[in-house]
Amino acid sequence: MTARTWIVAGLAGLTLALPAVLDDSALAVYVLLGLAAMVTVGVSLLMGYAGQVSLGQGAFYAVGAYTAALLALNGVPPLVGLLAAPVVAALAALVIGTPLLRLRGHHLAFATLATQLILLSLAGQLEFTGGDIGLQGIPQFGVGSFEAGGASVYAYLTWAGLALVMLVTHNVIASRPGRALRALATSEIAAASAGIPVGRYKLVVFALSAAFAGLAGGIYCFYTGYVAPGSFPVLLSIQYIVMAVVGGLGTIWGAVAGAAAITLLVQGLDRLATLPGMPAYAPGVLSYAVYALVLIVVVLFLPRGLVPAVSGRLTGKRTKRADR
Amino acid sequence: MLTVTEVSRSFGGVYAVRDVSLSVADGEVCGVIGPNGAGKSTLFNLITGHLPAEHGQISFRGRRVDRLPPHRRARLGMSIVFQAARVFHGMTVKENVMVGAHGRTRAGFVAAALRLPRHRSDEKEIDTEATAALARVGLAKWADRPADRLPIGQQRALQLARALCARPRLLLLDEPASGLRGQERERLATLVEELRADGLTILLIEHDVAFVTRLADRIVVLDLGRVIADGPPAEVRTDPLVLAAYLGPSA
Repeated sequence: MTARTWIVAGLAGLTLALPAVLDDSALAVYVLLGLAAMVTVGVSLLMGYAGQVSLGQGAFYAVGAYTAALLALNGVPPLVGLLAAPVVAALAALVIGTPLLRLRGHHLAFATLATQLILLSLAGQLEFTGGDIGLQGIPQFGVGSFEAGGASVYAYLTWAGLALVMLVTHNVIASRPGRALRALATSEIAAASAGIPVGRYKLVVFALSAAFAGLAGGIYCFYTGYVAPGSFPVLLSIQYIVMAVVGGLGTIWGAVAGAAAITLLVQGLDRLATLPGMPAYAPGVLSYAVYALVLIVVVLFLPRGLVPAVSGRLTGKRTKRADR
Repeated sequence: MLTVTEVSRSFGGVYAVRDVSLSVADGEVCGVIGPNGAGKSTLFNLITGHLPAEHGQISFRGRRVDRLPPHRRARLGMSIVFQAARVFHGMTVKENVMVGAHGRTRAGFVAAALRLPRHRSDEKEIDTEATAALARVGLAKWADRPADRLPIGQQRALQLARALCARPRLLLLDEPASGLRGQERERLATLVEELRADGLTILLIEHDVAFVTRLADRIVVLDLGRVIADGPPAEVRTDPLVLAAYLGPSA
């Protein structure tokens, strides 16, 4: 086995072992971290590989969560609801993306942000989504007679989902459609001249990244047992971008590393902000300020992100040794 | 192979290309020359589909293509080498060339995600073809380098390899010699001659008259958006209208 295989096997072992030893509050962080990583892998695929910006990835997370919640509340088996979540999120992305993906760069970023705001305000107004109160009493996830009791079941579900998302992304990147996506990120004109239907490919990758977010949203709704517009603030979408950039855009492991780094950092700061004697506005200020600060520091000092910086240093050493 | 019939395109009321007709026969190397602002690039973009024509028809391999988007024209067998270095970033040299085979292979997202047999067979075939195309343009030893780090001359060779990987019927070259130094230019000319010997049809749009006269079987001369001459290089070179366009009416 190569060093790489050992590292991956070690990480997989650690992932499987952690739910058994973590307590409930740590497990909650572990689940949320995995869900964030799932969405961030999609953001990295969309932004890092295909060069399309989305500031509204939280919207598809919400669509997945509401889909699974509504189906479960109407007596549909949870597994069906969970499978429907990514499908409905992807369909929503196809519909929204058809007009939106004609835009580029900042325009696309703002349009996706607006999409999320519109969807949130719709969810807050419509009756079937429960308005501002949202949907409550979502049944536990289960398959057949098995029902998920503890948080560790959700941890396994989340990380299995993340593994699936990572595998699909990995397979797509190193393939004919993956090369087409990377090509159109540089030049849509040259990509079209190589026979790539640029518009269709942008739409498919948008839908694929939405499906990842939708799957994460589906797991989230069963885990927390309720969804409301307030669960999906715009800050959530920004957080995914920060995670992707910090970990390293255009790397799959970077998305996971970025999600882990930011989730743990925010958790730590949250503890700090809620210490006795801290002002009431501390949590809000700290979270926004930290996203900004982390983003600036990473862009300044590690412009390619954590994972490329670390692996670049390792391979850099190796090349130097080979030169000697 | 390619027939352009009275196509026009204007920008802000000024015609860049006006009623231009030309045809390229199977196996022919056709050169399009003209002074700066003659409409060469506009004509090129009308043929590839990156600009829609306002009037006129374009037929390729017996099919009307003037309403088809660029990627459909590419799939019918048009391959382009752009003047500007349009090399895909964040990909190796070989991956860049592999993109060229996109139009004639089929493995989609599902086949790739699930690693279906179609993906495997396509990958194998594309890889072999890309390796051959790289060897042909002399980039074989750079295959695993990041493409955007290549010097400009090699980026053009890379684009040519990408175009060849598509197994084109018609190769469109937009000012391929521009920015190339003596040796690189010579290597490119030799390569074009080899491709012609293989029977490939080539449309060469070029500023450099000497380069075109050496390679083309026939030359079309544009000036101010119109065709002013069309014939074998020897004839066109002595045409008074062409001389006037290049050197000014006083010459």
